[in-house]
Amino acid sequence: MTVLKTSMRNFFAHKGRMALSAVAVVLSVAFVCGTLVFSDTMTTTFDKLFAATSADVTVKPKNAPEADDDGPKNGKPESLPASAIARVEKAAGVKSVEGGVSSDSVTVADSKNKNMGPTSGGPTLAGNWTKNELRSMEITSGHAPRGPTEVMVDADTADKHDLKLGEELRTITANGDFKAKISGIATFKVTNPGAAVFYYDTKTAQRELIGASGRFTHLSVTAANGVSDAQLKQNVTRTLAGDAAAYKVKTQKESADDDRKSVGSFLDVMKYAMLGFAGIAFLVGIFLIINTFSMLVAQRTREIGLMRAIGSSRKQVNRSVLVEALLLGVVGSVLGVGAGIGLAVGLMKLMSGMGMELSTKDLTIAWTTPVVGLALGIIVTVLAAYLPARRAGKISPMAALRDAGTPADGKAGAVRALFGLVLTGAGAFGLYTAGQADKASEGSLFLGGGVVLTLIGFVVIGPVLASLVVRVISAVLLRGFGPVGRMAERNALRNPRRTGATGAALMIGLALVACLSVVGSSMVASATDELDKSVGADFIVQPAGDSGKPLTPQSVRNLRDAPHTGHVTRVREVPMKITTPAGRTESESLVATDPTYTKDLRREAVSGSVAGAYRGNAMAVGEEFARKHHLKVGDKLTVDFDHGRTVKLKLVAVMSDDTAFDKGAMYTSIATAERYVSAGRMPLDSMLLASADKGQEDAAYKALKAAVAEDPAVQVMNQADFKDDLKDQVGQMLNMVYGLLGLAIIVAILGVVNTLALSVVERTREIGLMRAIGLSRRQLRRMIRMESVVIALFGALLGLGLGMGWGATAQKLLALEGLKVLEIPWPTILTVFVGSAFVGLFAALIPAFRAGRMNVLNAIATE
Amino acid sequence: MAARARQVVKAYGTGETRVVALDHIDVDIARGHFTAIMGPSGSGKSTLMHCLAGLDNVSSGQIYLDDTEITGLKDKKLTQLRRDRIGFIFQAFNLLPTLNAIENITLPMDIAGRKPDRAWLDQVVDTVGLAGRLKHRPTELSGGQQQRVAVARALASRPEIIFGDEPTGNLDSRAGAEVLGFLRRSVTELGQTIVMVTHDPVAASYADRVLYLADGRIVDEMYNPTAEQVLDRMKHFDARGRTS
Repeated sequence: MTVLKTSMRNFFAHKGRMALSAVAVVLSVAFVCGTLVFSDTMTTTFDKLFAATSADVTVKPKNAPEADDDGPKNGKPESLPASAIARVEKAAGVKSVEGGVSSDSVTVADSKNKNMGPTSGGPTLAGNWTKNELRSMEITSGHAPRGPTEVMVDADTADKHDLKLGEELRTITANGDFKAKISGIATFKVTNPGAAVFYYDTKTAQRELIGASGRFTHLSVTAANGVSDAQLKQNVTRTLAGDAAAYKVKTQKESADDDRKSVGSFLDVMKYAMLGFAGIAFLVGIFLIINTFSMLVAQRTREIGLMRAIGSSRKQVNRSVLVEALLLGVVGSVLGVGAGIGLAVGLMKLMSGMGMELSTKDLTIAWTTPVVGLALGIIVTVLAAYLPARRAGKISPMAALRDAGTPADGKAGAVRALFGLVLTGAGAFGLYTAGQADKASEGSLFLGGGVVLTLIGFVVIGPVLASLVVRVISAVLLRGFGPVGRMAERNALRNPRRTGATGAALMIGLALVACLSVVGSSMVASATDELDKSVGADFIVQPAGDSGKPLTPQSVRNLRDAPHTGHVTRVREVPMKITTPAGRTESESLVATDPTYTKDLRREAVSGSVAGAYRGNAMAVGEEFARKHHLKVGDKLTVDFDHGRTVKLKLVAVMSDDTAFDKGAMYTSIATAERYVSAGRMPLDSMLLASADKGQEDAAYKALKAAVAEDPAVQVMNQADFKDDLKDQVGQMLNMVYGLLGLAIIVAILGVVNTLALSVVERTREIGLMRAIGLSRRQLRRMIRMESVVIALFGALLGLGLGMGWGATAQKLLALEGLKVLEIPWPTILTVFVGSAFVGLFAALIPAFRAGRMNVLNAIATE
Repeated sequence: MAARARQVVKAYGTGETRVVALDHIDVDIARGHFTAIMGPSGSGKSTLMHCLAGLDNVSSGQIYLDDTEITGLKDKKLTQLRRDRIGFIFQAFNLLPTLNAIENITLPMDIAGRKPDRAWLDQVVDTVGLAGRLKHRPTELSGGQQQRVAVARALASRPEIIFGDEPTGNLDSRAGAEVLGFLRRSVTELGQTIVMVTHDPVAASYADRVLYLADGRIVDEMYNPTAEQVLDRMKHFDARGRTS
């Protein structure tokens, strides 16, 4: 009981010092809980949406893509005949059947050719307005579309683009484009996370979206009262008997599950990525907690000695520290769970700002969330306090009798140095091996091991390095500051274990920043380099954004007719199954292009000549595929085109796979593909490559842009645009990661603040003495700030060094995957380094202020 | 006069809990003299020294260092004054553990950004007998050596006045005698002014003049004391203290 009492008293006596450690626990737990709440809420949102949009039973053509497939490559959705409605209506338990049309291969533009689709990566959905839609939507102004010139739009899209009734919108599909005026606006009854939805009357939808009248993409079947979805599905399937193989019949639950699968993988990736970053924050928090408890124990040495002298057992002392940690863990975790829910709400608001609507109405807090948060927070805190607690238990009763001065300075031991060196050495060896690996999968294991070992090694060896690195930094930086600088240096050096741990916390976050920035800029540099080397095309025409929608035939026609262009190469991916002479079959796709492709993209042929692949009934494969199947030029390959015939194509070239673009791609000509794929099933062009007439680069660029001015789903880029685009994309990704790492860095900064604050308390008498003999407040504050800066720079130097090592190794390894150029982003590295100095200054603000305010007399008064 | 106090009052708290530590004290510290301040615990002797040295502020009255009034000075000026014109020797914890002996000795001048006078520094170091130990850290020095370093530091910047707060309180009698001997010589030979708080009659006997404090007032003084005289006088106070 007394143990608990002393722990409680100690805990509350040091609440200020505990507060910062508690903040670390709060932040880490909040990140974990926030992530869980956020992803659960997203799941709820999608579940509700999919449950609301699916009919009791849905009938689709058999070839309709699964929810997680890309849209149809030919721009037209699979459809079934209207006659199917009558057949399904006959099934027992059917209340009603509706023919539905839905397509995501559309672009909708306003009168200024601005894309009305979502910018967040959500789909643009177009379809006919049916009763089934009323399950999830209601018309809030105007009326449903009644003729070929009317369109209804969802309220979120209308709001976002300020669309009014009567405004004209242009819908662009593979079948051409048409204009319609907004007749109504429909509002989602559940949260619509980010799709833009457009409705037409059924005839218009059939004609424009499917390209044929009397056909539907799906049937929505409603069950009669008392008939279960499963029963209805059985009945419908029986009715379609004989023809059942041509259809897919799904209950509401099955449809919703399929839809959920399509977003599920994305949600999972996001969830685990965020949990990973939460884990890093936890790791950093552990350092903070260990440091805080070590310092509290050190400052309480005399007190603990007294407890031991009057008869407390080691175990009791040990336990009293752990009980304090437990209290800290409980307080921090409880607050953390609360903060996590707040964080989730904040994230939802942030996502809304980026175009992904989420509503707090759907806020989902699973019972596991607080349990996980509390358990994690408490266990981690108590475990982190274990080492300091054990050290407290080892304090001898003699400590009570010794002079109370600053606690004995922790020296970095030789055993530690050796152990750290061995770990670092092993890690470095792992990294070296990874760099030498000739298979990426093999090397990545060594890379992972090397990263973990060097990180642990650096943490262990940190105190030893601290004495060395701090001297170097001080020699460069603090020389100009005279005795104040010298004292700052000595203070940073006096307890290397503490400096090491504080720096290590910062090191972890910065190492990851450095590593990722090296990999990111190497990615940009490699791609740019490869682009210069192997891309001969002046222009690249792609679907805008990441929509993945193929280019519409009319846009391609306009682009091919653009003046000043030397040639325009069409590129399309044709899915097929390939069978080797040895009888092995694989699902692959052929890159079917115009013959000018060889001028646009230089890829060496290992044997044969690629030009031959563009003559009739010929093709080229990548060298890896050729090696795997022992193929040589002249072999006949059996190609079974999806939606087409099976033919034998002659292998005329084996292409090098030592290339960043088109690695492993198989080529044939569009003419060959067109001969065997049924008309109307031919995939649309996924990309165009174009060259300019000599000296007409600017004119050609303008002409190409003008050719697709009316199609906002197409993006025309010259090589410079393409490089910028790439840089932007990598930059955005990195910024997101930096943002997530920011949390770990904030926790590390709290660690620096805590270390300094405790050091200042510990050095009360010293500070008093210095003030008495004439150190001004300003000099004192400067001294503490410089100590902080040195510690921060120590952490930064280690972290950046380590991270650049990791990054360089990753680049060497990924060179096998086309990441050929190593580029160290010095501006970023330097900015981070200099930024760390400011972090140090910032962390010292409060400790320095408090030191300055300390009463000189308190400090020197003899007890 | 090196320092003067005029009608100095130092009180803590207000109303019922008001405690007067210094009660209208007038003191003159003569230049080139060694003054000891004695008195029982709670007499206010340390408070007086702290106020004279500009470490603590007074409730009312004036304190002058030479001709400078230090009462009412802002912290910045006061810090400069301590740094440039005053030396300190405390009972314990006089030295920064991170600095070696010579660095500790020159610290006040380093902080001020002044170059120490080399010849003077050598003389001081010689006088206190530390020549061989200048590169040692405080933890590598004995208690007596540490106090000698503190004395050297106080002397090195040639302050107008040195204040000692029980400078030999933590030392055995031999080491204490050594330190006091240095202080005495620095007054006699170098003309240094020293004010020292002590409760040790032997230490007080090194002084030119002893001031006795009781209940925040100066109750007596004695010139050129011997240890026996001081002890007698103290017994007298104690007896009086008990009877009154």
